[in-house]
Amino acid sequence: MAKKVVALIKLAIPAGKANPAPPIGPALGQHGVNIMAFCKDYNARTAEKVGLIVPVEISVFEDRSFTFVLKTPPASVLIKKAAGIEKGSGEPRSVKVGSITRDQLREIAETKMPDLNANDVDAAMNIIAGTARNMGVTVAD
Amino acid sequence: MAHWWEIQVRCPLALEDSVYWRFETVDGRGTVSQQQGENRLIRSYFPQAQFVPSELAELAEQIQADARRADIPTKPQIDWQLIPEEDWAHSWKSHWQPQPIGRFMVNPAWLSPPATEQIVLQLDPGSAFGTGAHATTQLCLEGLSLQPGVKGATLADIGCGSGILSIGAVLLGASQIHSVDVDPLAITATRRNSELNGLTEAQITVAQGSIEQLIKTLEQPVDGILCNILAEVIIQLIPQFNRITHPDSWGLLSGILGAQAANVTRVLVANGWQVTGSRSQAEWCCLAISRTVL
Repeated sequence: MAKKVVALIKLAIPAGKANPAPPIGPALGQHGVNIMAFCKDYNARTAEKVGLIVPVEISVFEDRSFTFVLKTPPASVLIKKAAGIEKGSGEPRSVKVGSITRDQLREIAETKMPDLNANDVDAAMNIIAGTARNMGVTVAD
Repeated sequence: MAHWWEIQVRCPLALEDSVYWRFETVDGRGTVSQQQGENRLIRSYFPQAQFVPSELAELAEQIQADARRADIPTKPQIDWQLIPEEDWAHSWKSHWQPQPIGRFMVNPAWLSPPATEQIVLQLDPGSAFGTGAHATTQLCLEGLSLQPGVKGATLADIGCGSGILSIGAVLLGASQIHSVDVDPLAITATRRNSELNGLTEAQITVAQGSIEQLIKTLEQPVDGILCNILAEVIIQLIPQFNRITHPDSWGLLSGILGAQAANVTRVLVANGWQVTGSRSQAEWCCLAISRTVL
């Protein structure tokens, strides 16, 4: 149908557990988006990924209807998985909690490429390496 | 009244996942982000009791340190404020009211059907285009109200969105609608809204796809085509219209800007169709069409 997007909103939320509480309620409510319909559709679409963070990009149209596409998980989720750790470091400068290889870094960068404004994989790897440093995860050469 | 801390971070896209991570370390419930100029505007929310302002300042300093560590050249701008808790599960509904369109009264599903002589079309609006709030949908529903030959007809609804046109057609007496949309969300929405109006799968069949899906599955040509998409897409579909219609078929095409109508008409004529009527609202128009008798 005739679609003009009036807002493009990305949510990073747990799969299968969307509900009207923040951040979803304030983000969508101001546009008059049917929050319950979104939660129902998102939860149905991500039911098999419960336990993961599955970001979603919502297009809100002129008639307050919406559609959405699922996006790649946040880099921190992929880094934790690659490093085999449950948590990152709250004090990344002094406390290192794990490491990933350069190949793993490249793999994460390639996964995240569609959602990063990076010109090439090397630029994407730099961005992911920055996130890893902030989590106390080192990149082994 | 309970309040929430709304924390906003304006920063380059490259820092977005680090910001998400930083909020996760303090039991964040997720983030919402939007592009704002060159930057992302990232927001996260926490119950007021979770932080005192000095802790928020500390969190902000950690995000600044994260930016430096990730070699982000632009310093993030970080703000926070208290916002009152709302009944977010219901407050969005205030944007929706019953709406008269042509012979129909489009009624939000959570409201009791109003006392009216118009045909009540129940709709759970939102999870696909076609809420009745947009001129293109209104024009098409109005056109359907005026179209002769709807009663008893079989129709194709290409780009069915919420299913509003398919449902409207059945409520006007059409016998069967074959609805398609490329968006899986629209398929769910059409089914959901059909049920809301007490319609059966025999009355509205829904499938994911476009006209090629109908070419593949239709056993008989349809009497009419409903198509509220966009002119560019409609122009691509027109050469295939004859494959799903018979010589007496008609159609309603909406989602066409006034300035695009002449171009759409040219393509219609080149493919054996004629424009029998046009209605317009704001910058949009809806064309009534029929096969040209040769």
